[in-house]
Amino acid sequence: MSASTSGTSAPAAASRKSLKAFSEDVWKNKTAKINAELFTLTYGSIVSQLCTDYERDFTRVNNQLYSMGYNIGVRLIEDFLARTALPRCDSLAKTSEVISKCAFKVFLNVTPQIGNWSSNKDSFSIFLEENPLSDFVELPMDAARELWYSNIVCGVLKGALEMVQMDCDVWFVSDVLKGDQLTEVRVKLNRILKDEIPAGED
Amino acid sequence: MAIQTILVINKSGGLVYQRDFSASAPRLSSNEYLVLAGTLQGVVAIASQITPKSLQITRKTGSKSGSDANHSSQLVPYVGALGSSAVPAQELGSFMGPDYFNEAFTSWNTTGLKHVTTDQNSLFLYQTLTGVKFVAVSSQSATSTMAVSIAENLLRKAYCLYVDYVMKNPFYEPEMPIKCELFDKRLGELVAQL
Repeated sequence: MSASTSGTSAPAAASRKSLKAFSEDVWKNKTAKINAELFTLTYGSIVSQLCTDYERDFTRVNNQLYSMGYNIGVRLIEDFLARTALPRCDSLAKTSEVISKCAFKVFLNVTPQIGNWSSNKDSFSIFLEENPLSDFVELPMDAARELWYSNIVCGVLKGALEMVQMDCDVWFVSDVLKGDQLTEVRVKLNRILKDEIPAGED
Repeated sequence: MAIQTILVINKSGGLVYQRDFSASAPRLSSNEYLVLAGTLQGVVAIASQITPKSLQITRKTGSKSGSDANHSSQLVPYVGALGSSAVPAQELGSFMGPDYFNEAFTSWNTTGLKHVTTDQNSLFLYQTLTGVKFVAVSSQSATSTMAVSIAENLLRKAYCLYVDYVMKNPFYEPEMPIKCELFDKRLGELVAQL
């Protein structure tokens, strides 16, 4: 790698290349890989076990998946930061870009689209065109109305963003598993927890 | 550069990990280390509050070029061959390839305390975006910019180990003292290669 530091723009760690190329490199050359089917099937067995354990009370399954995701997110953010060392995002637009192009790429190897910005730029949607969690899945009749199969993703995003001092609400709007056109995850920024930003940052 | 001690401090300022690597390391009781960690937390907070007047003025005017220049100076160059070449690739946990990372990276700690030099030792501090601090005490008495970037590289690698062997341990409770043997072992190897 050349050590030339040209005019630094947005992500300083990737000042010489775009966030996309940087993420691609992190995913390709610096992250250990496993067969995605193993991951998909493991998640499937967790969800189906939860449905049995909660006697098909899908609201509780959704909540449980969300809290499991939260617990993953608060830890996964450290992995993400150690791996990429990206600087703090200065806007929600930047955050959305990092989530779609970098985080989803590194951990799930997909790059969802971002869109549907609210007028005051405090919420956006993530459109999961391909969702590796829900390969091979068909929801049973009784679950089709209530269960958000990939609800763990919402929890992960919520937990991870909270650790970088962004208090967000994350929820599913639609899911192809339920017969919708698109799988859409909505992220809404409530506030930035200014008091909790570690000392030493600008 | 001989590392004597590595400490990990959680975001609330509590010491969660402490380990000596050399026999010459000062013998402090665990309580004294706890106090040291708390003090460091406080000093970082105070150090980020006091800034030279000239810097305060440039920051207030908020000139675009000024902030950019400030940004690039915070770039830590990648220091390769930190002994990592001796590690077989499969030993890097969830990381791949010859090293954990191979590019320059930004320092998250821009205005806080980064290093302290004394007659006999130097102390280096690496802070993550989530507020975890990694501290290394080395036995050299003079620091250069190079030494600081070597230390930041080393501590980022310690952070990578922390991520793999502490955060991914289901029995580790966040913010609690770290008692993970694999982390101990890998960190020992990392420091031994130096």
